Amino acid sequence: MNGRGVISVVLLLGCARFAFAAPVDDDARYFGDQIRTFLAKHCSECHSGEKPKGNLRLDNLTANFADAATRAHWAEAIARLKTGEMPPEDKPRPAAAEMAAVIDWLSPRVAAAEAAARAAQGRVVLRRLNRLEYENTIRDLFGIQVNLREQLPADGSADGFDNAGAAHHTSSFLMEKYLEAADAALTAAIANRPQPPPLFSKRISVKDGHPIRTTTEDVYRFLPDGEVVCFCSSEWHNVSVSSFYPQEAGQYRFRISASAVQSGGQPVTFRCTATGTRLSGTSGLISYFDAPPDQPKVFEFVRHMEPRTTIAVLPYGLAGANTVKQVGGEKWDQPGLAIQWVEVEGPLHPEWPPRSHQRLFGDLPRKNFPVYNFRERVEVVSENPLADAERILTAFTRRAFRRPVTAADVAPFVEIVRTKLAGEYTFEQAMRAALKGVLISPDFLFLRENPGPLDDHALACRLAYFLWSTMPDDALFALAEQGKLRQPAVLRGEVEGLLADPKGRAFTENFTGQWLGLREIDFTEPSHILYPEFDHLLKVSMIRETELFFNEVLKNDLPLTNFVSSDFTLLNGRLAKHYGIPGPTGWEFERVPLPPGSHRGGVLTMASVLKVTANGTTTSPVLRGAWVLDRILGTPAPPPPDDVPVLDPDIRGATTFREQLAKHRSLESCGSCHRQIDPPGFALESFDCIGGWREWYRVTGNGGTVMVDGRRMAYHQGKPVDPSDEMPDGAKFRNVDEFKLLLLRDKDQLARALGKKLLTYATGAAPTATDREEVEQVVAKVRGRSYGLRSLVHEVVQSPLFLNK
Amino acid sequence: MQLNRRTFLRGTGVAMALPLFDALAPRRLRGAADVPIPRRMVCINTPLGLHPANFFPATAGREYELSKYLEVVGEYRDQFTVISGLSHPDVGPSHDSNQSFLTAAPHPERRAGFRNSISVDQYAAEFLYGQTRFATLPLSCEGAGLSWTKSGAPVPTESWASSVFAKLFMEGRPDEIAAQARKLADGQSVLDAVREQAKKLGQVLGAGDREKLEEYFTSVRELEQRLAQAEAWSKKPKPQVTAKQPQDPRSGADLIGKTRVWFDLIHLALQTDSSRLITLQLLGTSSVPPIPGVSQGHHDLSHHGKDPAKIAQLTALEIAKMQTLRDFLAQLRTTREGEGTLLDRTTIFFSSNLADASKHSVKNMPVLLAGGNFKHGQHLAFDENENPPLANLFVSMLQSLGLPAEKFASSTGTLTGLELAS
Repeated sequence: MNGRGVISVVLLLGCARFAFAAPVDDDARYFGDQIRTFLAKHCSECHSGEKPKGNLRLDNLTANFADAATRAHWAEAIARLKTGEMPPEDKPRPAAAEMAAVIDWLSPRVAAAEAAARAAQGRVVLRRLNRLEYENTIRDLFGIQVNLREQLPADGSADGFDNAGAAHHTSSFLMEKYLEAADAALTAAIANRPQPPPLFSKRISVKDGHPIRTTTEDVYRFLPDGEVVCFCSSEWHNVSVSSFYPQEAGQYRFRISASAVQSGGQPVTFRCTATGTRLSGTSGLISYFDAPPDQPKVFEFVRHMEPRTTIAVLPYGLAGANTVKQVGGEKWDQPGLAIQWVEVEGPLHPEWPPRSHQRLFGDLPRKNFPVYNFRERVEVVSENPLADAERILTAFTRRAFRRPVTAADVAPFVEIVRTKLAGEYTFEQAMRAALKGVLISPDFLFLRENPGPLDDHALACRLAYFLWSTMPDDALFALAEQGKLRQPAVLRGEVEGLLADPKGRAFTENFTGQWLGLREIDFTEPSHILYPEFDHLLKVSMIRETELFFNEVLKNDLPLTNFVSSDFTLLNGRLAKHYGIPGPTGWEFERVPLPPGSHRGGVLTMASVLKVTANGTTTSPVLRGAWVLDRILGTPAPPPPDDVPVLDPDIRGATTFREQLAKHRSLESCGSCHRQIDPPGFALESFDCIGGWREWYRVTGNGGTVMVDGRRMAYHQGKPVDPSDEMPDGAKFRNVDEFKLLLLRDKDQLARALGKKLLTYATGAAPTATDREEVEQVVAKVRGRSYGLRSLVHEVVQSPLFLNK
Repeated sequence: MQLNRRTFLRGTGVAMALPLFDALAPRRLRGAADVPIPRRMVCINTPLGLHPANFFPATAGREYELSKYLEVVGEYRDQFTVISGLSHPDVGPSHDSNQSFLTAAPHPERRAGFRNSISVDQYAAEFLYGQTRFATLPLSCEGAGLSWTKSGAPVPTESWASSVFAKLFMEGRPDEIAAQARKLADGQSVLDAVREQAKKLGQVLGAGDREKLEEYFTSVRELEQRLAQAEAWSKKPKPQVTAKQPQDPRSGADLIGKTRVWFDLIHLALQTDSSRLITLQLLGTSSVPPIPGVSQGHHDLSHHGKDPAKIAQLTALEIAKMQTLRDFLAQLRTTREGEGTLLDRTTIFFSSNLADASKHSVKNMPVLLAGGNFKHGQHLAFDENENPPLANLFVSMLQSLGLPAEKFASSTGTLTGLELAS
């Protein structure tokens, strides 16, 4: 908000009582006479009735500015009048004075009502931790790793993000799940063993693993010292490290020694997965690795393992088992993956009792409390249970509530301990009950923010949940404590610090996961008839490309216009092959300059986005177009009217979607929206369901025979793709490359769109029409910084929309 | 009946014929004159539609001709009604219509600003609360389910039949029971403590925030009541059944296997009166299900784009699904309870949130209403463009449970043409 804005709001607040309260009748009269007449004359033709244009109905909008929805509608109307967008060009223009009078009368009233509402309750509504934030917060609060998100029900989303308070509802069922999750957290954090669980430490040969030990298919070669060469990539030959099958959950260190053989000097890529989880997207995947030719390399990683799970290894892109077994593993002369050995060590406990336990209970002694199947069991004991309880709970509550606490805040939990001790609970049992109380209290579950400027602690939380999806760390708490966080330079430094931290990955994952819909990558499985080349490696590579690209733009403060059009991207071998771009091999990604004619560059032409905007069989220009309008251009299309017939996709090849849509578009009632929605969708028709470039449709009905690598495909060559169209303003494009250039004409709009998405994600509520000025400030500032993405993140954080509730 | 049920069942050591169970069932379930007949409801959603050309009969009325899919359940023709033309008003074409399946809340497909409302099973539970160990059993083959609370929050679902079986029928070891009792007690005192914070917080907040916190404290109070109920039930022995704990199908793609396991479990839950309100979300997987003649994923096949080869596979898959329904109806039909059968006392609502999945349309949803207190045996055909809201059927279903429901969500009355049997 600029200086003028502040002054006018203060003035309005100050004079609200005597300026607007008294002449209510005058107001009502003016509204009835002047405003209504103006609306009837210039707006009502389109903006009235059951189906108003742009979903903005003005004919029955009241002067009750105190109502948030009414106010938002007025703000929208004022904004359109001010910019001259409305009434539209082809309609008679009201006289300038007439228009100014309406704007001058409405604006201060809407602004005053808005300021009053904000002063009373802020712009955003109380946010509850979503399940991801809950799991992360528990992780950092205790220093433990527990999968809690799966135990909690999925969160609702509003404005495209699942951290929006408006979409979060609480139920008794959710509360029950929170009780269970708190139990799980405390069980993981508190040690009831006198000693750490026995350490498993072993060098293992995969020859004893499943299915090598039992298979009757001759697809392996056995070498001395337990070395095994795997020659096939068939899923059922996914080799488990079966000799490792832990009974204890915990962190385990794995070291895999592997090399490529008979590979003509090329690496062989292999996949490492955790068993027990279904491999979907990246869940269950540990990583892909590239085994170098002939010289063994050791691949090391530390991973949290659940009991009774192990890891499995499968080479990528080798022959199928049915082919290899015709020749046999001994004689097979094609590439293979040699695994010399796998070393496993864990569960890793550098200290005992573990940090999580010490952090809670300090050096309180532990004593033997046997139960029937666990004789050695110990519990924490205390000489001064109430005093210890109060001390422990005060320290814990302070971190759990993410703010300073008073004795009154802690008292109810100490009271639980007192009652439980009286009721013959042991000290530890009573403490567990009290800690559980803290973990389901509203101060833990909700991000408390008071109306007006955020205090330092609330600001620290907003920042941490924005960039880390978790609670602040000790350093950030300390800054809040010193009251320095609101200083712009300090805040800027913290943003840099948070982004540089490994926890900053959460921002990329959760923001792009929702902004670009990457979380929906598994929503459809492409038809294997139409897309036989689709595989798991391609799927995870798609996601990785987009995340790495976002990171690259963020890290280097590159212009956000890169999301629309860019001369580079990050590729690995699989994706490079998919895009037909020479260079990278294997799993590892590298930054690649895009050659001319690649048609790639920017997120719109990334396989990930193209896949999530299609189903597994067909692409719809309407859905993709609407997606681009919403996510990239920030001008979401109004929802389709309820009574439109749905187009029936046809993959037999006789008709294209474009032909079907043409009829629809020719109707005036449909055309007005579809002229906006369809162009981006048509431009993207050059890309199929999995983001491959296409010049014709793949069909299952009649069409030309298609050969790939000498093999006849199950699909046929259908009609040619026509990616041309024209923008609403008449600018024509022939293909996606020209289309992207047209999008770049209005860089401010791209910044505005992304800025709003970031503000929404950062604060838990989308800016509305009344926040226009603040949003424009952000846009103006990043314009001055060449539209840098990192600058945009900074400006979002420095914006009054972020600094105030 | 003074027989100790548990000892008796152990003594026999073999699977018993079902009618014996009836003799052992609590008196009130046998429909003795002084107690009302227990009425139950099972709502099932098969999320990727049912190929309309194969599901809907060509003719309407009582003399209608069975369609390809209805042939499968043809022997129960007099125990079900097939309904065409129904849909939820203001629910747009999208997979998101799943969320409004039992709630009729408008515009789930718009996502932004969508707020769900109570589902028909949870609504009924408010009347039937406390009569059974579990007021409702929301089940799902995978992911989110169909049940929603008054505040529009999802009711968590159970995804593993084996663990539901354990909850319903298996007693823990003594130390587990003690731990469970402590958990319940802890839960109650913990909730007690946070409830005290209510007054303190309420004062400092704006209206929007206050509403959120009120929702929280309502949830706390409701959970307290539920825990108290659970405590009371935990003191009663669980019903014993001869069936073994089911094995959850190992393959996530096995949609027929999963469906059968759930149907078996629902049958047991109804038979033992463990719950009277059950919702089940079936699988709509992208993976290839192990069904002869099917080589593509269900989701993929549902987007058949009119390809005859795909439609043929889809038909094979959906016929296998209809067979599971047939066998479920058979189980309920052959289980006697008092004067009737379980099927007579259980309304089965079997439908899909999508009408024609190939185009994601949501008009003319396939509806098969079986069992319960209805006059069945007809095809009720409505004009899909001028149809009564699907919620009218929900009101009819609620009334058939004996509940004083007049309106539910978008309803305008009961469903015309569908009459109660008694």
